Amino acid sequence: MKISGSYTIRAPRQAVWDRLIDPQAIAGCLPGVEKLNQVGEDEYEMSMTVGIGPVRGTYEGKVRLANMNPPDEYQMHVEGSGRPGFVRGTGTVRLADGPDSTTQITYEGDVEVGGPVAGVAQRMLGGVAKRLVEQFFSCIEKQITGG
Amino acid sequence: MAVTKLFGASVKRREDPRLITGRGNFTDHIKLPGTLFMALKRSPHAHARIVRIDASKARAMPGVVAVYTGQDLVDKLAPVPCAWLIPDSDLKVPSYRALAVDKVRYVGDAVAAVVAENRYVAEDALEAIDVEYEVLPAIVDQERATQDGAPQLYDDVPNNIAFHWKLHAGDFDSAWNQAEVKLSRRLINHRLIPTAMEPRGALAHYNPGTGDLTIWCTSQNPHVHRLLLSAVTGIPETRIRVIATDVGGGFGSKIPMYSGEMLASAISRDLGRPIKWFESRRENYVATIHGRDHIQYVDLAATRDGKVTGIRVKSYANLGAYLSTASPGVPTWLFGLMLSGAYAILAVHVDVFGVVTNTTPTDAYRGAGRPEATYLLERMMDLLARELGMDPAEIRRKNFIPKEQFPYTTATGLQYDSGNYEATLDRALELVNYQQLRREQEELRAQGRYLGIGFSTYVEVCGLAPSAAAGAMGFQGGLWESATVRVHPSGKVSVFTGSNPHGQGEETTFAQLVADELGVPIDDIEIVHGDTEMIPFGMGTYGSRSLAVGGTAVIMATRKVKEKATKIAAHLLEVAPEDVAFENGRFFVKGAPDRAKTFQEVAGAAYLAWSMPEGVTPGLEETHFHDPINNTFPFGCHICVVEVDADTGKVSFRKYVAVDDVGNVVNPMIVDGQVHGGIAQGLAQAVYEYAAYDENGQLLTATLMDYAVPKASMLPRFDVDRTVTPTPVNPMGAKGAGETGTIASTPAVANAIIDALSPFGIDHIDIPLTPERIWRAVQERRG
Repeated sequence: MKISGSYTIRAPRQAVWDRLIDPQAIAGCLPGVEKLNQVGEDEYEMSMTVGIGPVRGTYEGKVRLANMNPPDEYQMHVEGSGRPGFVRGTGTVRLADGPDSTTQITYEGDVEVGGPVAGVAQRMLGGVAKRLVEQFFSCIEKQITGG
Repeated sequence: MAVTKLFGASVKRREDPRLITGRGNFTDHIKLPGTLFMALKRSPHAHARIVRIDASKARAMPGVVAVYTGQDLVDKLAPVPCAWLIPDSDLKVPSYRALAVDKVRYVGDAVAAVVAENRYVAEDALEAIDVEYEVLPAIVDQERATQDGAPQLYDDVPNNIAFHWKLHAGDFDSAWNQAEVKLSRRLINHRLIPTAMEPRGALAHYNPGTGDLTIWCTSQNPHVHRLLLSAVTGIPETRIRVIATDVGGGFGSKIPMYSGEMLASAISRDLGRPIKWFESRRENYVATIHGRDHIQYVDLAATRDGKVTGIRVKSYANLGAYLSTASPGVPTWLFGLMLSGAYAILAVHVDVFGVVTNTTPTDAYRGAGRPEATYLLERMMDLLARELGMDPAEIRRKNFIPKEQFPYTTATGLQYDSGNYEATLDRALELVNYQQLRREQEELRAQGRYLGIGFSTYVEVCGLAPSAAAGAMGFQGGLWESATVRVHPSGKVSVFTGSNPHGQGEETTFAQLVADELGVPIDDIEIVHGDTEMIPFGMGTYGSRSLAVGGTAVIMATRKVKEKATKIAAHLLEVAPEDVAFENGRFFVKGAPDRAKTFQEVAGAAYLAWSMPEGVTPGLEETHFHDPINNTFPFGCHICVVEVDADTGKVSFRKYVAVDDVGNVVNPMIVDGQVHGGIAQGLAQAVYEYAAYDENGQLLTATLMDYAVPKASMLPRFDVDRTVTPTPVNPMGAKGAGETGTIASTPAVANAIIDALSPFGIDHIDIPLTPERIWRAVQERRG
């Protein structure tokens, strides 16, 4: 399933970039993250509890950042599995200067879910993914602006 | 005392108070001390190599007794059997392990079994099993699966084609070459999920002391399951007892042998403790068989005046990842032979490709093959009527096999037993007030409202039998049925039937038959079923066969009882047997009705045996194995009337008329119920139910929230009527009524909706006709 969208953060591009690749910032802003440990360069192990539709569960998995091109663009690979099934995704995040020291973020990605969660929630996944992404960026923005 | 005949009476179902008040003996009600619970770890991937399974964490959990992987059981359990080996079709039956060994091939394929002190622990332990998969590309669409370059499920099933079955009857090529009208279509008969109210489950108890395995399970055919369990476990049949007394629906999904029942049995033997396993609804949706799923290419040849001269069908049947017990028979025997339907079509060519894909295995689902044939044919008849500007009722009338021609041998070699197809059409037209409806349709169209009238004039094959025919088509069993009638010394009667009702009401209908035969009160008759230790080998309940085949066995065994009782009565009355008459439960001397013995007195005498006629043994009990000479062929006409909102695609049902001919009817209330339920399921295929996969082989409709089983409010009122054309095949003249509604209704509903949309130039949309599909089709035409 393809997801894409954009988000504007009221902060300059370099500040946004620094936060987006900071594991502590990520862990603090991804909803439901219970742990995030660095296991390699730009590679993290994480545990995340998410509810998609009626299926709530904990997913253990890995996040890897790749093709880093600061402060313009990077790719993110995520894979996690747990009782409700598995989630796998690849996405690209691009940063551009917006007006008045804002940063325009665009993202696009491909997400695959499988196992029990796919049978219940796949058609809700687009909406859930978009909401999670927006919550994430909004949280990052608050971290930077202290707001 | 006047005794009312019960044949034809709407006797209330005797089993219902027990079933609907929680007092039934369903498998999950059975509790044994010391029972362990089994849960199955299922693959989340549609196609993957199993690299490694690490169950050490699960094994260490408190309460977990054992964890089994496929490798652990290779020597303890043979593969899941396929019992329908279609001949002359280059059939390949790949190995189907209860727990996958090297590869998983569909989402839901079991890879490990956890056994624990309770179900909670067992389910939690599943999460602790670490399975490493190497994910492989998956294939879901059966037509694409046959093309070069498609992912291959097995090394030894090239192009994923498990069989290619063909039947070329009559000369289609010349019919096609000479045809004045040629129609060609690609039709999709989509995948469905049977959705029995009770999921599947088992309680297996192996006693290491005696070597006996007793298994309570959700089965439509307990003896067949005993035979198959014996084959896969190596435990002799004499040591296996299968009990399936109350079963909460099946629709075909409880015919096959499955991994769950096999694993519970094998693990109970391994551990020497009772093992219970029960599906959740979600497991039921991924791991119990699905139904239908054909892609069909149809060519129809006809004359300009509307006579169909030939039909050619190439069908891709999706078998799913493995060949389930009866799956090769469904898209072949039960489909291909029925492709001329109620019509005199002399050339029928059919090629069926049975294709394996990364989806849940398919098998018999209510109607099994016949809905696929009927939808195809009835849809094509409407397209032909449209092409020729003929009334859809009249094009059917023109092609019907005339009633004078019965028994009628079809091009495909079936012998239709009896029929009067026009009578059902005429009655249905009258009930629906057809001419008036067509006028109303015109008027409403002028107002921008879209009324549609849809027909289905079906015939189906049921009373599944005879054994020789089944054998010729590769079914690895007979299709007869057994009955034992045991009269007790008090004159009360136990009837042991090999049929195994799971909602059909045989405890009532079979008792009606016996009450009439013996002239005893229905309350004196007990129908016993579903326990292999108590009843002779039986084939079970499916294919609308229980009354036509099992009921006949009951009647024949009862008549043997009556014959013996007559000899004993004659002896007691001191006359010759031919001088004794039997009426209303009394044996009396012809011409001297006061010289009489009641049935109960004779039963008592048979057991006292103080004075028996010469050559007659004590006791009063007879068994009969009945193998019919032919199938039965119910038929009828269903007419559906809908109104479609062209702006939203919403379908409103205006009227639904069903005129069925199932021969003589033992219990009209039960037949009405069967017809209602059948229509509900068939209508649901036309507009609601759809088992959807994504391209990776993930089932998207794995819950009752996502898979649209209709609620009562989503169904119209059914106006049900019948004509009666008895079958000569059995003494009751009864044909069978379990599947007619499902078979007839899908095309009636689809044809009605397409008829409503005809002003837009729409002549076909693939089912299910959801508002979205209808709306898109209308939008496309509106531009």
